[in-house]
Amino acid sequence: MAKQKMSKLAKSEEKLALKLLIPTFIILLVIALYPLGQVFYTSFTNRTFAGTGTTEFVGLANYQRLLKMTIKELPPVIDEQTGQQKIDEETGQPVFEHPIRVLPRRPNLYRPVYNFKLAGHKYVIGAITPDFIRAVINTIIFTVFSVLLETILGLGVALVVNSEFKGRGVMRAVMLVPWAVITVVSAKMWEWMFQPTRAGLFNMLLNKAGLGSGNFSFLTNPTLQMPAIIAVDVWKTTPFMALLLLAGLQLIPNELYEAAEVDGASKIRQFLTITLPLLKPSVAVALIFRTLDSLRVFDVFQVMLAQKRYSMASFNYFQLISAREMGMASAIGVIIFILIFIFAIIYMKSLGVDTE
Amino acid sequence: MSREQQKIIKKILFYFVLAVIVVYLLFPFYWAVNSSLKSQAQLAMTPATLLPRDPDTGNISFFTRNYFAIFKNGQFLRGLFNSTIVATSTTILSLLVGSFAAFALGKLRFRGKAPSLYVILAMTMFPQVTVLSGLYAVINALNLSARFSMIFTYMLFTLPFTTWVLTSFFKDLPKEIMQSAQVDGATPFQTFYLILLPLTAPALVTTGLLAFIQAWNEYLFALTFTSIDVSARTVPVAIQYFSGEFARQEPFGEIMAAAVVVTIPIVILVLIFQKRIVAGLTAGAVKG
Repeated sequence: MAKQKMSKLAKSEEKLALKLLIPTFIILLVIALYPLGQVFYTSFTNRTFAGTGTTEFVGLANYQRLLKMTIKELPPVIDEQTGQQKIDEETGQPVFEHPIRVLPRRPNLYRPVYNFKLAGHKYVIGAITPDFIRAVINTIIFTVFSVLLETILGLGVALVVNSEFKGRGVMRAVMLVPWAVITVVSAKMWEWMFQPTRAGLFNMLLNKAGLGSGNFSFLTNPTLQMPAIIAVDVWKTTPFMALLLLAGLQLIPNELYEAAEVDGASKIRQFLTITLPLLKPSVAVALIFRTLDSLRVFDVFQVMLAQKRYSMASFNYFQLISAREMGMASAIGVIIFILIFIFAIIYMKSLGVDTE
Repeated sequence: MSREQQKIIKKILFYFVLAVIVVYLLFPFYWAVNSSLKSQAQLAMTPATLLPRDPDTGNISFFTRNYFAIFKNGQFLRGLFNSTIVATSTTILSLLVGSFAAFALGKLRFRGKAPSLYVILAMTMFPQVTVLSGLYAVINALNLSARFSMIFTYMLFTLPFTTWVLTSFFKDLPKEIMQSAQVDGATPFQTFYLILLPLTAPALVTTGLLAFIQAWNEYLFALTFTSIDVSARTVPVAIQYFSGEFARQEPFGEIMAAAVVVTIPIVILVLIFQKRIVAGLTAGAVKG
């Protein structure tokens, strides 16, 4: 009798639980799963936006256009008079054939992504959509450097704020300021600081320090673009990292440090043998969390570099809105999804889900 | 060197490091405030000055017209209005729907709980950009207005987040509360909205605030969905497309004024709810 009643209760509880979950799952179905399915499907078609042509199934063509790459050796240019390789008069470097002439043109035109030299030979890597290959490389460089710098700086800030001092509360409040600034706004603020004249903060400071003549164009010079973008992201997200690590630091019992102190261990030794090992789980979680976030970076790239340099997400946006290539944009979406999915699996494995 | 001296040096070093951190974190914002108080001529001065100065005399002189200009400028006010509507609606909807799901996941027993939790957790990491083209198609098919599209699609990140964080708060509530309410004859749903929901009010505020900030911040969807309807632009999009009243080039004075105006309310909110926000953020990211 009692048992039956329990199971009745359990049944009604289960019914209630399902009712309560239904709205959430319906919403997620409409805004996440259905569009995701749509994206997967569209990525195999040549669908365009508001196009007049009919949509056709094109198989893996979009993926090929995005990912196919080729390596070709560049033949040396022979000087007809000497029969030797031509030497550039200005630079003194041997001259090689222009990549465009070497790369395949049919059925798709390959354009150069990167040239490199190996054992006296010169090679070129070509791709059909070099902008996408570069976008992937940009995103990976961005992710590696910004996550690394944020972790190191965040750990530093967390360690400082974790010690006892007057004004610790104020300090914690200060830490939240960059986090609270809208990403687009912070990108605009930094864009203004990066002005290519001495009206910009960085050029003014560098000039005062005797570096350059105050005209570094951080956002148009290709070698300075990535460092500039990374600097913005590091400023904006270091506080978040520091907060996560601070929470981890506060879980370490003080007794451990007291015992180490009694044993005469130095501060550095304490840091290496107590703090670091015990902080490892927090660092791991924060790292993967930030990595997932950086891989889909959009705001800073779109605001500061627009079409000068793409991240994967901003290239996707460009393909969709400006080029109106829905099929291509969908294929990019799928590639980003797969990349992030792999990281997310690692994240969940390292985190574990506690159901009770 | 005596011990006393060593201690003092250590202290000085510590406060020096602290000062460096504070300057690093606050200076860009200070620079925005500084620049927002400069006229076009003052902004063009080289080298740039740490305080707004008169280009001829070099005396300190503040220029406040940027602030008046942005409030006279329809784009910015409309942006604030749109952002407020969109972010508030998304937050309320997510809290409402999310707290139902969180109650089920945190306090009820049912089959399929673990997979449901996995789905929610996976959704918190869902890369929005991947469904951009699919969502755009859905919205075109449903013929939704730009504002409503944003409210609806922002739930893609606010809903899993609120559900996940609230679940961990519900889990932490003692089981006895539910049991004693049941003994008193309350149905589980009554227990939920009469007893548990009021108890989680602080968590609702924190989670709501974090969801609001995420929605307030959102740029990708806003940029995409307002590309046809300019009047629906939210603050981030409006600031990006700012065209000034008097300047021919990008009006950085006004942009910086707008940046300061939209940042200050959020900073104040964040400072008021500081402790809660930290708790919510770490719960969202760390708690399993």
